[in-house]
Amino acid sequence: MINEIFDQHYKDAKIQGGSTCCPGCGGPLFWKIALQVLGANTIVYGDGPCAMCALRNIKVPHYGIHFSFVADGATGINAALRAKGREDVTLISSAGDGATADISFGKISAAAERNENMIQICVDNEAYMNTGIQKSGLTPYGAWTTTTPSGKTDNKKDIPMIIAAHKVPYVATASVAYPIDLKRKLEKAMSIKGFKFIHTIIPCPTGWRFDPAKAVEVTKLGVDSWVTPLYEVEEGVLKVSRKAEAKPVNEYLTAQGRFRRLSEEQIAYIQSEVDDKRDDLMAQDGKKIIH
Amino acid sequence: MSDKEFTRMMEGNEAAAWGAKLSRAEVVPAYPITPQTELISNIATLIAEGKMKTEYIMVEGEHTAMAAAVGASAAGARVFTASSSQGVAFMDEPLWIPPGRRLPIVMCYVNRTMAPLGGLRPDHNDSMHQRDKGWILLYCENSQEVLDTIIQAYKIAENPEIYLPVGVCYDGYFVSATATPTTVPDQAQVDEWLPSYTHEWYSLMPDSHKMPAPKSFLEMRMGVAEAHEKAKKVIKDVDAEFKKQFGRGYGGIIEEYNCEDAEAVIVTMDSMTGTARDVIDEMREEGKKIGLIKLKCFRPFPSEEFKKIAKKYKAIGVVDRNNSFGSAGGGIVAIELSRALYDAPDKPLIVDFHVGLSGTDVTMNQIRYIADETLEAAKTGKVKHVVDWVESHDLGEVM
Repeated sequence: MINEIFDQHYKDAKIQGGSTCCPGCGGPLFWKIALQVLGANTIVYGDGPCAMCALRNIKVPHYGIHFSFVADGATGINAALRAKGREDVTLISSAGDGATADISFGKISAAAERNENMIQICVDNEAYMNTGIQKSGLTPYGAWTTTTPSGKTDNKKDIPMIIAAHKVPYVATASVAYPIDLKRKLEKAMSIKGFKFIHTIIPCPTGWRFDPAKAVEVTKLGVDSWVTPLYEVEEGVLKVSRKAEAKPVNEYLTAQGRFRRLSEEQIAYIQSEVDDKRDDLMAQDGKKIIH
Repeated sequence: MSDKEFTRMMEGNEAAAWGAKLSRAEVVPAYPITPQTELISNIATLIAEGKMKTEYIMVEGEHTAMAAAVGASAAGARVFTASSSQGVAFMDEPLWIPPGRRLPIVMCYVNRTMAPLGGLRPDHNDSMHQRDKGWILLYCENSQEVLDTIIQAYKIAENPEIYLPVGVCYDGYFVSATATPTTVPDQAQVDEWLPSYTHEWYSLMPDSHKMPAPKSFLEMRMGVAEAHEKAKKVIKDVDAEFKKQFGRGYGGIIEEYNCEDAEAVIVTMDSMTGTARDVIDEMREEGKKIGLIKLKCFRPFPSEEFKKIAKKYKAIGVVDRNNSFGSAGGGIVAIELSRALYDAPDKPLIVDFHVGLSGTDVTMNQIRYIADETLEAAKTGKVKHVVDWVESHDLGEVM
């Protein structure tokens, strides 16, 4: 009986066991949650980045090339779906943080401009983790990586707001630490035609330097301290998804080895940036921010 | 607008657009670059006029154009795209994907010189640069051949024995922007000859998903090599079938012109072949025993054909509109031909000529010089220069 329940569970799951990801990686967790919403009638395009090792384990059609190929092949698949009259299929284009913010930034911008009918997902673990922890355009200020040994001196690009400025119908930030919110946002994205962008922070114990058992806990701290706030921008209107009181950023930063060399001044700077961002988001909540 | 056959003056780029239209390309991702631009704007016009139905995507760069072509082809659509020169170079990364993934994409390489100091006019380095990737590469002489070769290319590419991408190459300006009489065949006749496309191995659609991966990298690469071997026959067969249906053929992979009893031959590609035909005719009238071989198919390289005919000639003059710096000797075609003939008995001498680089005119004087030098080598049994940079000689008045 127990065996049958397990068999059925693995049969129904759209992701199979035996992932090659590091312990505690948020990648498989993200895809497990996402595919419960997306279902079997889905094509996933994208490959390369570390946090997408998990894609090798998904059971829906998947086509990936390299991380310099983002949204482009999906544009072709989208055209083929139109040519074949198959607009029932959900098309996902997925990319890591380096692909999204650096090497394929222009490609995502162009797909957004064309309003391609797809859900573009940024699987953001905040550095080039597959090549062994090198800084990307989405590595946060102050974080240690092998190419920023004294901590990153530049800021993280605000990719969700940059994409929102393209006037696409839907942009959201989401987190594996808040799966109900993540699922709701995917469902909403599926119901909208055009270019949808979901930015999701993926915990990386290997690169962020923390105990793999605490992956969800650390990610949750990121949201609760407003370092990685949850919100959505639908038709230009901002809606903050989680408005809880902010925990001090220090709790989030000290939970990870990558921030251990931060000075008190740096931590104070990060806190003030986060406070400003929170004030901005709360002030604009419910308002049209993209005209 | 009737879909019936018509004939009129047409530039190469417009003929290529008609080729894509007649082949019913379902997806066309495109990005403009001179001299390919009129091709994609002609396609846009055909769509706007309601003559062509296709998913046309104006993408943001050539890298995306080929990546989108890969995605669309993998998802089961017939795909067409085109580029030139720096655009082809920008596409370099995705251009590796279709051969190994066995995707039958057809792309026009509207040949143009590479930077630096390159002009907008043609030489062949942009498309020959693709020689190691696994693309079939066919070179065309005029508008009619461009149109016909595109239709043939789909039949070659989509043959389940082959499943390789095909590059249809033609010179910028000399072919792309030069109007020559061109017959556009009846759509119904093309439909009958070129059936719609389904990939027998792949489907990306969730309800019919199949995507067998090769067991190893070696198996993938050997598969591409094997398909190239098979393509030599398929290209010839497709050309013969095309001739039967439409009355026009191009000799398959090479064409011998006036080669009867020749002591020496010259090998040309692309638009210069037209000039060479005239020069060879003149020299024949003068009693010189010279012939012409037009190299239509550069990949797969027609080694067997050359081996078969090589013993008939004492010398072969190769006209290379490309450079391969620091090579074993001369341009790319000369190197290929030397390998093809290395183990042939009674092999002829090979003389290599660089001419027409960066789109300079290949004149009748120059072709005559090349033919004379090749005849001289045949007579003396000696090659004066491994590579002869023809334009460095003063050959008198241009004609």
